[in-house]
Amino acid sequence: MRTNGPYEIRLKGHLDSRWAGWFDGLTITNENDGTTLIQGSVVDQAALYGLLQKIRDMGLPLVSITQVEPDQPDVPTTDPR
Amino acid sequence: MAGPLLETKLHVPRGRRGLVARPRLSERLSRGAESTLTLVSAPAGFGKTTLLTEWLAGAPAEGRSAAWLSLDRRDNDPALFWSYLVAALQAASAGVGAGALLLLQSSQTPIEAVLATLLNDLSASSDDVVLVLDDYHVIDARDVQDGMAFLLEHLPPQMHLVIASRADPTLPLSRLRGRGELVEIRAADLRFTPDEAAAYLNEVMGLVLTAQDVAALEGRTEGWIAALQLAALSMQGRADIAGFIAGFAGDDRYIIDYLVEEVLQRQPDNVRSFLLKTSILSRLSGPLCDAVTGQDGGKPMLEALDRGNLFLIQLDDRRQWYRYQHLFGDVLRAHLLDEQPDLVHELHLRASNWYERNGERSEAIRHTLAAEDFERAADLVELAIPAMRRSRQEATVRGWLEALPGEVVQVRPVLIVGYAGALLLGGELEGVEARLEDAERWLDTTTGNHVGPEASSAGMVVVDDEEFRALPGTIALYRAALALAGGDVPGTVRHAQRALELSPEGDLRRASASGLLGLAYWTSGDLEEGHRAYADCMAGLRRVGHVADTFGCAIALADIRRRQGRLGDAMHTYEQALQLASEQGGSVLRGTADMYVGISEIHRERNDLPTATQYLLRSQELGEHLGLPQNPYRWRVAMARIREAEGDLGAALDLLNEAERLYVSDFFPNVRPVPAWRARVWVEQGALGEALGWARERGLSVDDDLSYLREFEHITLVRVLLAQPRAERVEGSIDEATQLLDRLLQAAEEGGRTGSVIEILVLQALAHQTQGDLPAALGSLERALTLAEPEGYVRVFADEGAPMAILLRAAARVAPGEQKGIARDDVRRLLAAVDKTEDSPPVSQGLPEDRQGLVEPLSKRELEVLRLLGTDLDGPDIARELVVSLNTVRTHTKNIYAKLGVNNRRAAVRRAEQLDLLSRTRDR
Repeated sequence: MRTNGPYEIRLKGHLDSRWAGWFDGLTITNENDGTTLIQGSVVDQAALYGLLQKIRDMGLPLVSITQVEPDQPDVPTTDPR
Repeated sequence: MAGPLLETKLHVPRGRRGLVARPRLSERLSRGAESTLTLVSAPAGFGKTTLLTEWLAGAPAEGRSAAWLSLDRRDNDPALFWSYLVAALQAASAGVGAGALLLLQSSQTPIEAVLATLLNDLSASSDDVVLVLDDYHVIDARDVQDGMAFLLEHLPPQMHLVIASRADPTLPLSRLRGRGELVEIRAADLRFTPDEAAAYLNEVMGLVLTAQDVAALEGRTEGWIAALQLAALSMQGRADIAGFIAGFAGDDRYIIDYLVEEVLQRQPDNVRSFLLKTSILSRLSGPLCDAVTGQDGGKPMLEALDRGNLFLIQLDDRRQWYRYQHLFGDVLRAHLLDEQPDLVHELHLRASNWYERNGERSEAIRHTLAAEDFERAADLVELAIPAMRRSRQEATVRGWLEALPGEVVQVRPVLIVGYAGALLLGGELEGVEARLEDAERWLDTTTGNHVGPEASSAGMVVVDDEEFRALPGTIALYRAALALAGGDVPGTVRHAQRALELSPEGDLRRASASGLLGLAYWTSGDLEEGHRAYADCMAGLRRVGHVADTFGCAIALADIRRRQGRLGDAMHTYEQALQLASEQGGSVLRGTADMYVGISEIHRERNDLPTATQYLLRSQELGEHLGLPQNPYRWRVAMARIREAEGDLGAALDLLNEAERLYVSDFFPNVRPVPAWRARVWVEQGALGEALGWARERGLSVDDDLSYLREFEHITLVRVLLAQPRAERVEGSIDEATQLLDRLLQAAEEGGRTGSVIEILVLQALAHQTQGDLPAALGSLERALTLAEPEGYVRVFADEGAPMAILLRAAARVAPGEQKGIARDDVRRLLAAVDKTEDSPPVSQGLPEDRQGLVEPLSKRELEVLRLLGTDLDGPDIARELVVSLNTVRTHTKNIYAKLGVNNRRAAVRRAEQLDLLSRTRDR
């Protein structure tokens, strides 16, 4: 299954753990600055827009949405000696 | 489509008690009602619906009728969206949109046609109407959005649109803004100001808060009305208000979640349980809630919640149907999902069962899909298909089928064929045959009757017996449509005939099969069979009540009769179709414009040019939306032929060029293509180079095999050949032309195409005339006249001009009784028509009857040309001498030869000397 992302969506306001089921399959992290981070991969762009619509319908202000590079293996930056 | 669902969607919500007055917003809305569109765009819970409700309550005072439509996801199906929209308007302005609803029921009407009809009604209405579309953000279907854009573009001044949405809709907003036709109310406008918040909390909700309290709440909620409402609810009857406010203001949690939890915590268990369980419903009624909760007391519970202001919204005037405010409902659902996830599917199933028992299948299906009980959903979809097909909700059916897993659909032949049909109607021909074969594999395993709803030993599942039995007929019909789309005429006939054998009487599929059969027969030249099949189709459509589709049949029926030379019957067909449509009452139907064009063409042939023109004008006045797809092109061809008859060849060519650009096939065989019409005008103009070019391009030759589809082109080829002047003619080519005419005549007679026979005989007569064989010419002419007279044909003779006039005069001279069938009156009538067409009046110098010794005297111009023919000058030189075009010289020369009864220049000069014509002209 091809995935899109992972995406990081930042909202203003904290979400109770109760909402984990609502955002099935995504990780919810309440940050210290009063925002919430929703992280995870979505199947495709249509799923992404569906997710954004859910957020819109809750009335939660959207702060940012970023696509994150998948983890790369560490690359040495110094000459091997 | 009637029933409780419709009522709740159209219900104008009632004003709530206890609201803060917001005059600044009401004023803006009233101002907005003068412009095209008012957009209220803000997230959920900002009080959009409440504001609009309040404002609408004052609408009658401002002389406006209010219409309301609450939208939901299902309204992305255009069949539903536009039906609801028209219904909403009808509630506000009686009689509007009746024609539009009729058009919606007709197959594949483009939405612009429906909307144009609706807009006409609205323009004619004296009512000032405001239409509110609530929850517009659920609409994402492209074709619905396009239709809305069209509506906005053409909205009459008496109508105003208000759209409430959580997001700016995909409509031409910037254009409207630029023209000052858009009024917006946005979140910033809707938030409670600190004063309004204070008024709400203290006066409306009866709390006693300090200014600091209000400020703290206002700061935390930022004026979000839903949040303030929840906060107020939480504070009512609470002892420690200060503590609550402190806690609330200092919390980072999603406000709505926090507040709803506060509210929920303070509810008794039974209320809480009720709220959570019923949160899965998009609409709530007492009995439905009882079914879902498994308990009694739903109705009193709802009334209590409504009284307690707990975010319940009334959907009708009878306290029967409610819904939760969206935010509130969403949070409840989140709670349910968190606390009792296993219960969710069960609740949806209970709702589905209730809807099914109460006759609302679409809702039942929705809940069954939400419950992920796909087997049950598939059963319900299968049972729903016939009604959905009748109301043309293909988009909805397709959505359902695509929501079902493949393995569920694969064992249900009715669903497989249903999906094939949805694809076919959507123009996606790719997957159709494969699916039909899949379905057939199941049919093969059950020869004869099948075994009822239980799966047969082969694992097949059928729920709707009747649909299942009709499957072979449906499959044949779809195959016929596929064959037609692929240009396979024999295949279309085969499959359509099979569909007829397999479909019961009075079924729409039978009428469709007849229509396809008619088309196939017609295309292959079997006119009488084609007529019969189309007549069956038309009768079938009438029986099922699809009057709007009968016009397509009428066009085909009349065209066939005209080919068969039965103008009277064709006229009758047009008139009958119009009569039938007018019996429907209400507005004019699409296809009326085409009938007028057909009637015009018959009048033209009968030489009543003023009436013919009138009918074309009437057709034009109706507008393009009341014509079928081919009408723009047919109209222009008809007008071109009238112009041709009036002698304005330039205008005729312009119209034909336009017609060519506008041509669409709409599956009708292109029996008389525009380029052939154009070639005929070229021939008349003497532009033989272009005409020959056309013949070359089309690869036409006298040795071609003949077919019905190319008959018109071949007749045109003959005209081109006959028009070539002697000097340029290839030796024997007149003979070739006459041979082709003989073959064409035989084919046309065999095919019963009397219309073509008449024209061919006319050309035959002219060809004989050119060869100098007057008796043979008169023989052909007599036959043509016999066939033409009963039907009133005139122009087929009159269009041939001077040479035909000569023949007609000769025919008139024959003593009555000698050549039977030609009444002198008819010939005189035709002659009068021809003479009118002729623009060069004969020279009259008081000569005796046989002036110039000719049956038809030469005109002044012709005498000038004749004089020059007696010199050594060639064509171009003569043209230069007379200061005319070479083509004009050729036309004159042709007429001169005809009048002198010769076919070359030398003979013409000799005859002219015999008649002493040349000496006269020298006395000029």
